[in-house]
Amino acid sequence: MNARAVTSDVLLGILPIALLVALWQALASFGYAPATLLPPPGLVFTRLIQQLASSGYQQEIAATLFRLFAGFLIAVVVGVAIGLAAATSPAVNAVVRPIVRVLAPLPKVALYPALLLLLGFGHASKITLVVADALFPILLSTYYGASMVEQKLIWSAMAAGTPRRQILFKVVLPAAVPSILTGCRIGLVISCIVVFLAEMITSTDGLGHVLVTAARTFQAVDMFVPLITISLLGLILNALLQAVRSYLLRGFPEV
Amino acid sequence: MMTARTQLSRTAPLLACLGLLAIWQVAALILDTDSFPTALQAIRAIPSILGDKESLINILASLRRMAIGFGVAILLSIPLGLMMGRSRIVAAFFNPLLMVTYPVPKAALMPIIMLWLGVGDVAKMLVIFLGVSLPVIFHSFQGARAVEEKMLWSGAAMGLSAAQRMVRIVLPAALPEILAGCRTGLVLALITMITSEMIARQSGAGNILFNALDMGQYDTVFAMIIIVGAMGIGFDAAFERLRSRLVRWSEPRFDMPLGFA
Repeated sequence: MNARAVTSDVLLGILPIALLVALWQALASFGYAPATLLPPPGLVFTRLIQQLASSGYQQEIAATLFRLFAGFLIAVVVGVAIGLAAATSPAVNAVVRPIVRVLAPLPKVALYPALLLLLGFGHASKITLVVADALFPILLSTYYGASMVEQKLIWSAMAAGTPRRQILFKVVLPAAVPSILTGCRIGLVISCIVVFLAEMITSTDGLGHVLVTAARTFQAVDMFVPLITISLLGLILNALLQAVRSYLLRGFPEV
Repeated sequence: MMTARTQLSRTAPLLACLGLLAIWQVAALILDTDSFPTALQAIRAIPSILGDKESLINILASLRRMAIGFGVAILLSIPLGLMMGRSRIVAAFFNPLLMVTYPVPKAALMPIIMLWLGVGDVAKMLVIFLGVSLPVIFHSFQGARAVEEKMLWSGAAMGLSAAQRMVRIVLPAALPEILAGCRTGLVLALITMITSEMIARQSGAGNILFNALDMGQYDTVFAMIIIVGAMGIGFDAAFERLRSRLVRWSEPRFDMPLGFA
């Protein structure tokens, strides 16, 4: 694809987004939607900038980010460990597989009331919910990545005298990295979404709580701002992980 | 040998369920607090929820909204995804928009949509629709993009019109991928339904959970969790049976959905 085609694709892609913003602006400025229901985009974005600069709002973001990263990191460690173990040991596989099969399609958010009862209303219940939701995509993609490792690679490493224990870390894990990182990207975006929803359901701080507070007082502008913030966070974190991925996988063919 | 193995793989999920319930039972007996009933106590509370007319109507109303939201989303998303997969212009037009909306928590739109549409069914179905659409569009897109050009050329040479090629070549060829998307979408529909009801706190299955929590009826909370969990597992298993019938010729890449909120 030449440079010209790429630019025209980008322009074409911006079009629907621009149209939506234009429609939003038109609805607001021609008076079809009162500002209490749909505040004009300009107002929302000035409020967003204003909020991002205020220390109170920054603390809400910090609370959300703390829960998000704590949950995501635990999910990565546990998911990769179980995924690798299930892919390399038939005994572990026999136990993990049916359990994952049962737990993966279970709506984790339904566990949230139970987590509240067991772990209280603080960080722990929200972090656990994030772990529960982000775990399975990471676990499954680690498992599939590690079980797809070519047997020839393992044989060559064994022929070259690599001890059995080291094969896991020197051959299987590196070969599964592309798949693991894909799982991590899905898991990261899920973590963003879940932490926000958990904060909306019950919380005293965090971005989700900001939205709920605004909804109770019918402040439409303040409802849009945290929603846009968490979506931007998701996009930024996703892009960062993509950058990490292309750095780690330089030389690998793009999949 | 083979039959023993298939028998085992059939009963393994059931054994896993029983094992998890047993762990729960033991944990509850050890912790021994009012707020954490044992698995048996929770199971005993299930009939009283399903027997209660009001709760049953609430749950059925939730499922009806979920079915409509899911159905409409699939009917619109599959054609869109297929068109994106076959036309570079359509793909370039919609891709960035979908990428930008991907990390938006759909259930979190509930308060805003309720502000516009009121607390009725439409708002709830719209949120479910939004939650289901993206994965179905994405998978249909991937499936349609991977269709072999040669088959389309042969179709064109045999005089099939563009629309006929879409229905008779692209749709069946992309079906395994489309159904994988629908499977994720089905789990997501349930998740979005429960989450949005937990946030809106008006009616439905999610609301029963939190009402019971507020009133300290812990048995009901945990019984409701079992009911919702069983719905998730049951829908997924039922869809998997349907899927494997429709595309018996194709092996699934993942035999479990990468479910996400």
